[in-house]
Amino acid sequence: MPRRQIFLTKIMEVALLLLPLAFAIPARSAPQQKPANETSAPAPKRDLSGMWQYQGSGGAEGIAPEKTIPPMTPWAQARFNQERPGYGSRAVPDGNDPILQCDPSGFPRVLLFPLPFEFVPARGRILQFFEREHEWRSIWTDGRSLPKDADPTWFGYAIGHWEGDDTLVVKSSGFNDKTWLGATGYPHSEEMSVTERYQRIDYNTIIYNITVDDPKAYAKPIVAPERIMKLKPGAEMEELPCVWSEENSFTKRIRQPAVGKPNR
Amino acid sequence: MKSRLVLSLSILASILFACTSIQAHHGNTAYDPDHPITIKGSVTEFVWSNPHCQIYLDVKDARGKIVGWSVESQSPGILRRNGWTRDSIKPGDLIAVTLVPAKSGAPVGFSGEKLGKIVFPDGHILKMDQR
Repeated sequence: MPRRQIFLTKIMEVALLLLPLAFAIPARSAPQQKPANETSAPAPKRDLSGMWQYQGSGGAEGIAPEKTIPPMTPWAQARFNQERPGYGSRAVPDGNDPILQCDPSGFPRVLLFPLPFEFVPARGRILQFFEREHEWRSIWTDGRSLPKDADPTWFGYAIGHWEGDDTLVVKSSGFNDKTWLGATGYPHSEEMSVTERYQRIDYNTIIYNITVDDPKAYAKPIVAPERIMKLKPGAEMEELPCVWSEENSFTKRIRQPAVGKPNR
Repeated sequence: MKSRLVLSLSILASILFACTSIQAHHGNTAYDPDHPITIKGSVTEFVWSNPHCQIYLDVKDARGKIVGWSVESQSPGILRRNGWTRDSIKPGDLIAVTLVPAKSGAPVGFSGEKLGKIVFPDGHILKMDQR
């Protein structure tokens, strides 16, 4: 056997052994060179204003990988069993995802789409606008507490404060139970409370962490994996509300025909 | 020894291809992400709206019969940030569309994310992979 072939074979075998390491890259590993639209300017203090976009894969995500979601209570399991999501371990092509009938994605699901949102500082609050569904919420920063008995809403009631100069901590509650935690169909109850941390680690980057605490639905809090959001300087938000006539037309012309015939 | 080299190369290539395919597309379960195709035809309608823009085109099949294809892409927001406008595709345009087809066999597909692509006769390309 020629030495060259022995050498090449050994190289290939080592490459196969080392291949898994290629996918163990930490979420925060910095690129060698900044993309052209990123600046090296220092991040402003206590300021997240601007357009940001989650660098995720799309609207197919759940709040966290299914294997990390804590055991559900009987209440949540019963709800989960009746859902037919389009993604995840129980995906079906013609499901009952409420967003297909233009129900709001709600919070936190609205953040899991590859669509931008904008922080706009105002007196005593920060406004957070979402391109997805043309929605918005107020994050009150005037020192108030969360209301003890807020009317349940799609996006909840949010308050925020700064930790240091770079991290906005947002706590929210007062959610209705009509939304899913993500595209994989996991439910939540009206008892859900959410804690988010938006840490601006440099001018262009937010590291986003979210914990969902819902004792009526899950045995323990759901701690989502760290997510990266990038500043989109110069970007403009599109007007993209969910319009029932457009959604219905899309269902009739695309979704239903796509599943209309037997599988190949 | 040569067969070990070939086997190692094959395994490595298969793993890399599978990983690329998985990362290239996260479409819903109605579509077959493992068998993308490219269809060529004449646009009959381009819908610029939520939830996903749509391209309808007449495609001649292998027997010369005209089949009406329905293709969904991404939201107008995503497409605009990829350089599209509501006039990027017009009725009458002859285009080649790379998509993942419906598992059902219906002439429906999804052209989006990293895999999606629209190629015009003059060579210009519309993509939708920027976020």
